[in-house]
Parts: sequence; structure tokens; C-alpha cells
Amino acid sequence: MFQTATTLMRLLEFTDSAFPVGTFSNGLETAAEEHIVHDAATLEHYTEDIALQSAYTDGIAALQAYRHCRKGDYRLILETDKSLLCCKMNSEARRMICRMGKKLAELSGHIFPDATISLWLEDINQRNTPGTYPVAQGLLFAACSLSERNLFCSQQYGAMNMVLSAALRCVKVSHFDTQRILFKLSEKTEALYNDVRELDTEDMNAFVPSIDILASLHEKGIQRMFMN
Amino acid sequence: MNFALKKEMSPYLEQPRAMPVGTAGKMGYLYLGFELDGEGRSILRDLERHAPLIVQQELYFDEAMPQMPCVYILSSGGPNVDGDRYEQHFVVRENAYAHISTGAATKLAKMRYNFSALEQHITLEEGAYLEYLPEPTIPCCHTRFIADTTIRIAPSATLFYAEIYTSGRTHYNGGERFEYDILSVCTHAERPDGEALFREKFVIRPDTCSPTTLGKMGGYDIFANVIVLTPEEHAERIYSLTSPFIDRERRLAAGITRLPHRCGLIYKVLGCDTGQVKRLLRRFCSTVRTEVKGKPLPEEFPWR
Repeated sequence: MFQTATTLMRLLEFTDSAFPVGTFSNGLETAAEEHIVHDAATLEHYTEDIALQSAYTDGIAALQAYRHCRKGDYRLILETDKSLLCCKMNSEARRMICRMGKKLAELSGHIFPDATISLWLEDINQRNTPGTYPVAQGLLFAACSLSERNLFCSQQYGAMNMVLSAALRCVKVSHFDTQRILFKLSEKTEALYNDVRELDTEDMNAFVPSIDILASLHEKGIQRMFMN
Repeated sequence: MNFALKKEMSPYLEQPRAMPVGTAGKMGYLYLGFELDGEGRSILRDLERHAPLIVQQELYFDEAMPQMPCVYILSSGGPNVDGDRYEQHFVVRENAYAHISTGAATKLAKMRYNFSALEQHITLEEGAYLEYLPEPTIPCCHTRFIADTTIRIAPSATLFYAEIYTSGRTHYNGGERFEYDILSVCTHAERPDGEALFREKFVIRPDTCSPTTLGKMGGYDIFANVIVLTPEEHAERIYSLTSPFIDRERRLAAGITRLPHRCGLIYKVLGCDTGQVKRLLRRFCSTVRTEVKGKPLPEEFPWR
């Protein structure tokens, strides 16, 4: 897919952390509180694990939704949405992706009209579909003629940047550290994309029990630094 | 299920040189059907087994629930070896109840050509109750294992399903930790009408992506996953009674969260000592049993 200045600008806009869809720390608050993430090295490992598990769940769902949207198969878009929700074991993560997905669908309606996204938002409001964020990203990127690779990179950038931005407020790291981590981990995205692009919703998988336990501590705890 | 079609198993499709896939003795099959008899006692009504899987008969040894049939699954073949395919069906009919475990840990031997697979189907009808707590699975170096568990559960039934995976033979040859080739485990549940409830899959390939990192095993050796499918009112009380924790002294951690579609809970445990992990799971099982059946789980036998 040919990249024009306009599509590149769209990619920057949708990926920018200022794009108002909300952000979550992915268990980092608890990891910092438990002193599991306490410096740049531990933050890098944590961010990489988040990026990986996100690639094999959210990344796959986003690419599937994008492809179904390009083919005009609305039924499969809804199935992808439901499949992703079924794969999210953590209840806070489910709440997070649904809240952000709905926000993105609403936001896109204010920016440009798209029949598929409007229909999908209607189904979210009617509770016919959960409205997950990765599916919303897939629909948005397809509607704006951005490429699959763009979509995956945006998804991965978002996952990493959410953790790294939160880290600046709860882990003893600097902007230099977080940017260096992002720069380094981004070098793995191409290989990850080449693996994930061949997979479908049946292949969605995640193995982060340590993060799951941290998320559980957060879910049952009372301390909150960020939106939840 | 044709596990050879799973993408992650594609590098391991060579026929084992000793005994090919499908040879008698390498295709274990088990069907256990529990139901209430005329006097309202839960019994093992149906039992079909093909070697190497063995179940002899149900026993009623649970002191807290002496009316509950307890079954141990044994394997006459020792560890799971290259090309083994096992299939297990557990059916608990309306209002019946049962407890299933294994006689010993499941050892997954070194594999050179193919892989070992386990397909499970668990069906619980209305009001049914099943505890399934197999002993740990030990994946030895260069083993390849895939498991797929399909759960079909009525809204009023309760399932407690616990799995424990160790990192390997930690006391063998200087200690094996995550030296296997692949572990692919998928558990998914649905209502009798086909409504999907959840689907959890994890694929661990230590060679390509270390499972020891901070967000994965985070320095622990043993991982346990417990699925509790139960009506929402039970789930909420169990959730409120169960606290997540990280205990650095005992090197033990646990977390709990609600599953999608309000179908139940998932409890995850990380540890370094199998005994500690098993005790924690039994304590959690006792919480579930007390909530649903009004009886605690008795102490484990000292030889287990």
C-alpha cells in the first residue's frame, strides 16, 4: 500500500499519545510498588513482555479486524471483537480495551464519517459487541487506507509507550531511559510483525502469569495513580 | 482433533522411528460419566478406557464428602513419549458430583521427532459439580506437548479445574529448567447452547522466547492455573474471600480475577516448591467447595 504524506500524517495522529482515547499502566503501578520494576533494566524487560503479549492478542485481533473491514465482512469483525474479549483473562484489561475501543469509535465519528465504524459503534451501544480497542484500531486504519504494517507498528508503539509514559511517574527512570528503551525494543517489531501477520484469532495466546498476578493485586488494591 | 494442523506444532511432524503415531498403546482414551443413581448417590456410571490410560473404579475416600466418587487416572506407559495422543472425556450429569485426580505427576519425556498431545472434553450438566486436580505436569528437556481442553458447562454447574506446570526436572542432572521445546496449552469454555465464555491459550517456546522474564515466570519455577466456573453469586463470594499476594520469603505468589461473561474466576499461582503450590491450590479448592457444597476439602493424604 503506497504511503502518501497524508497517510503518514494519519499514522502519526492515531499513534500519538495525545490522541484522546485514554491510557492505562498495564500493572506497572503494582510492579513498581512491589519493587519488581525499579530501574531502566527491569522496566525494559517489563515493557518487552507487555509488547509481546499484546502482539499475540491485540496485534492479531487488530490485523484480523483490518482485513475483514477491507473485505467488507462485518460479521467477522464482530466475531473478532468477541474472540478478543474471550481471550482477555484479566477483568481490568477487559474494561480497559472496551473503554478505549468505544472512545476511539466515538472519536473517529467526530473526525470523519465511516459507515462501518458508525455501525460498529451502534452495536457497541446496543451491547451487541464488546467494542475492543484493537478492533477499533483495525477499522480506523482500514477506513483511512493505512497499511497493515502501519497498524501493527501503531499498536505496538501504543502498548510500549503506555508503560513507558506511566513509568516516568512511578519508576526511578528518566526520559532518556524510556526513549532508549522504546528505540531498542522497536527494532524487534519487524520480526514480530512477520510472525503475527500469519496468525489468526485461533492462535491468540498470552503467557504473562507474573503480570497477571500484579494486575490482580491492582484490581483488589485501593491505590490508584492512573485512570482505571 | 488433529493437533498436527496447529501452527506451533509444524516443526515437529516427523514420524517417531520407534512406534508411529496411532499405534496401539500410544492412543490413550478415557471416558468417565458420573450421574446420580436411584438413591441420589453420585456414581461412575460410564467407564471406557484404552491403554495406556487406566481408571479402575471410583472410590469414596473423601472424609468431608463421603458420598462423592473419587477417581485417580493412571498411565501404564510411564511418561508421555514421542507421538503419544491422549483423549479424555469427563461428563458429570445433572446434579451429580465427582473428584478426579491423577495417581502421580505427568512426566513428558524427551522427544526427537514428533510431539505428545492431550485432548480433553469436560461436560457439566445443570447443578453438576466437578473437582479436577491432576498432579503436576513435568516437561523434561526437549519435550513437545500440546493440550486442548473444551469445557461445556450449564449455568448452574461448578467446575474446579487446576493445572500445575513445573519448569522441568529440577533435581535431575544438575537441574533442568525450561529446557523443553514447546508447551502449548489451550482451555476454552462454552455454554450448552454454544455461547463462548472464555478462551485461554499459552504457548511457551523457551528457545525462541525465554519464559523466565520478569513479566512471565519472574524468577519462579512452577506455574499453576485454576479455572473456577460457577454461578455468579458463588464466584463473587469466592472472589471476596481470596486475596492475591506476593510472599518473597516463601517464594510464592497468587492472583485472582473474574473471567469474561461473568462465568467464574481464574486463579494463578507462581512458586518454587511443588508442595507449597499444591497446598495453596487445595486451600483455594476448599474455599470453592465450602461455598458451593458447604464442605471443606480434607487434608491431603501424607503420601501425596
